[in-house]
Amino acid sequence: MNRFWDTILNVPVPDPDDARRRRVLNIILLGTVGAILIGLAGIIIGSLTSGQLNVPETRLLLAGTITAAFGTLGIYWVNRRFSGRWAALLYLLLLTITFLFTDSPEQLSNGRSLFLFTIPIAISSLILLPEASFLFALLGSGIISGLALSIQQPVNIFAVIGFFILALASWLSARSLESALQELRVINANLDQVVHQRTKALAESLARERIEAGRNQAILNSIADGVIVFDRHWNAILANPAIRSLLDLPIEVIVNRNFRELIEHPKLSAHSRGLLYAMIEHDTQPLSFRIEWGGKTLSVSAAQVYDFREEGNVNLGTVTVFRDFTREAEVERLKSSFVAIVSHELRTPLNAILGYAEMFREAVYGPMNEKQVNMANRIITNTRRLLGLINDLLDQAQMEAGKLTIHMGPVRPSELLEHIHSLLDKTAADKNLRLTSEMDDSLPDIIIGDGPRLEQILVNLVTNAIKFTDQGEIRIRLFHLPEFRKWGIEVTDTGRGIPHSELPHIFETFRQVEGGATRTQGGFGLGLAIVKQLVNLMNGEIKVASEPGQGSVFTITLPLVTP
Amino acid sequence: MSELALIIEDDLDLADIFAEALRSVGFTVEHATDGKKAQERLLNGEAPYLILLDMHLPHISGGQLLTDILKKDSRFDKTIIIITTADARMGEAYGDLVDFVMIKPISFVQLRDLTARLKPPQ
Repeated sequence: MNRFWDTILNVPVPDPDDARRRRVLNIILLGTVGAILIGLAGIIIGSLTSGQLNVPETRLLLAGTITAAFGTLGIYWVNRRFSGRWAALLYLLLLTITFLFTDSPEQLSNGRSLFLFTIPIAISSLILLPEASFLFALLGSGIISGLALSIQQPVNIFAVIGFFILALASWLSARSLESALQELRVINANLDQVVHQRTKALAESLARERIEAGRNQAILNSIADGVIVFDRHWNAILANPAIRSLLDLPIEVIVNRNFRELIEHPKLSAHSRGLLYAMIEHDTQPLSFRIEWGGKTLSVSAAQVYDFREEGNVNLGTVTVFRDFTREAEVERLKSSFVAIVSHELRTPLNAILGYAEMFREAVYGPMNEKQVNMANRIITNTRRLLGLINDLLDQAQMEAGKLTIHMGPVRPSELLEHIHSLLDKTAADKNLRLTSEMDDSLPDIIIGDGPRLEQILVNLVTNAIKFTDQGEIRIRLFHLPEFRKWGIEVTDTGRGIPHSELPHIFETFRQVEGGATRTQGGFGLGLAIVKQLVNLMNGEIKVASEPGQGSVFTITLPLVTP
Repeated sequence: MSELALIIEDDLDLADIFAEALRSVGFTVEHATDGKKAQERLLNGEAPYLILLDMHLPHISGGQLLTDILKKDSRFDKTIIIITTADARMGEAYGDLVDFVMIKPISFVQLRDLTARLKPPQ
């Protein structure tokens, strides 16, 4: 229904003011036609009831009314097809002329019909131009003045003034309406432009993002390793096709799921499950480990992503990379089991040699002279050295294979020291060196650590110190740093020291200072490398300070955990 | 009459050295060369005064002998058990079940001196 009236009333022109005026004019014109038709019906009914249908006055009236109806429709047509201005002008003039014949000149110029001329004044400013009200005030004034003069009556000055006041009011109200509408249109236009610009910018940035995302996706898709990106709550937000074939799972059960669901998958071994839970629950720094998935060994590397632009480096999530490590793991397993077998096979006869040499020294089968005892001692010393080397090699092989693990348990620091003394006091004494030890009083009696590995660290450091010290002493100190929740081991010697140029390489595998030292001091140079790796496995730190000719200080700092 | 010591050790040389150390302090020594033989001996013969048990044995491991027989059968309640192993961690794991843990290489002198102290006063 609304659409029907809109079609009838609206004139589609670009100028919004023109369109508005023409719509108002259409309403008035159609209203006028309606009024004329009602009037026509009234005339016909009235003349029928009074039997005056055939009188010439009635006929004239009917003809006039019908002409007015058609004239109005004609103006409607002009308004729709040609010009709103002309149509409005025509209509107003027709209205004024019609008014001229509706009453006697007396009444029109100075009586009850005077008000008729205010109608075109009021509506002209709406449908023609704001200023047009003055034109029709002038026209109305002219007509009533002319009529008054034609019947020798005085001109009604008050009516003329009233016409012009009305014209002024109409003009002002129409003008303010138009300017308000104009402002509204400007605001609308600005708003439209802003919306347009925003929309365009948004579309462009979306397009850019899509290109960027497409590029990132392409990179991600072409990576042979499986990649899963997690948000900070460990919901998988992105995964590449490689992860699908690696885990042999449809991508839907990976992406948009929480990582915990994947961790609970039956293909994952219990040990691997523990490792993954540890990873997501402790949110540690970049880390790398292996898991067993079905028949596969996968290496997992995880790195957290931070937004460094934000205050306090906001954690955005974690990128995890899964790599098929099955074949490498198998090779490593073979290698390490080979090393383990070889070391066992090497150690067994050495143990026997050691035992028999001791039996010689102890004169189990009869008295020995001093030279023989001395030789037995040399056999014992060298066999022990060989055993030590094999142990080092085994440890190194295990570390390379990632097999060397730390087993935490309660450790008594005082027992560590006792043990070291029982093992190495004699070795130190043989070189006329003092081996002393002390311990901070505040260090707890029992701490959590890997006892055998801590012992190994101490043995390696102290053996090393004894090896490179010709006179003086070796001091062991176990210290406590309560403010950092750390404890540590310090081994100080009065040996020959380490040249500054060698300090950075001291913890490298198969490294001994000055090359030639190997021959005179023995050893592969694995001891410190093993110590360093063990300390790393324990999340600790090792430092060395040394002055050539004055001695060296090795300091190990470890996190302090108490039961 | 001297106390009986049972050596359970698959390496014949080591067993020989251990036996010599034990004999030198006055034990009567018996030797089982693998897990299965040790099991038979333990189930059938007299309970030894002392057992020197290697953890790494063919057929039946030292750990199994320890938990399945020595710790279950009350005949061995008074037996002194020393385990020998090259693996410090394994020694630690079984440490609470036994009287002594000796980590290989085991010194002849060390074993001799220890077992000498373990002999009952004559």
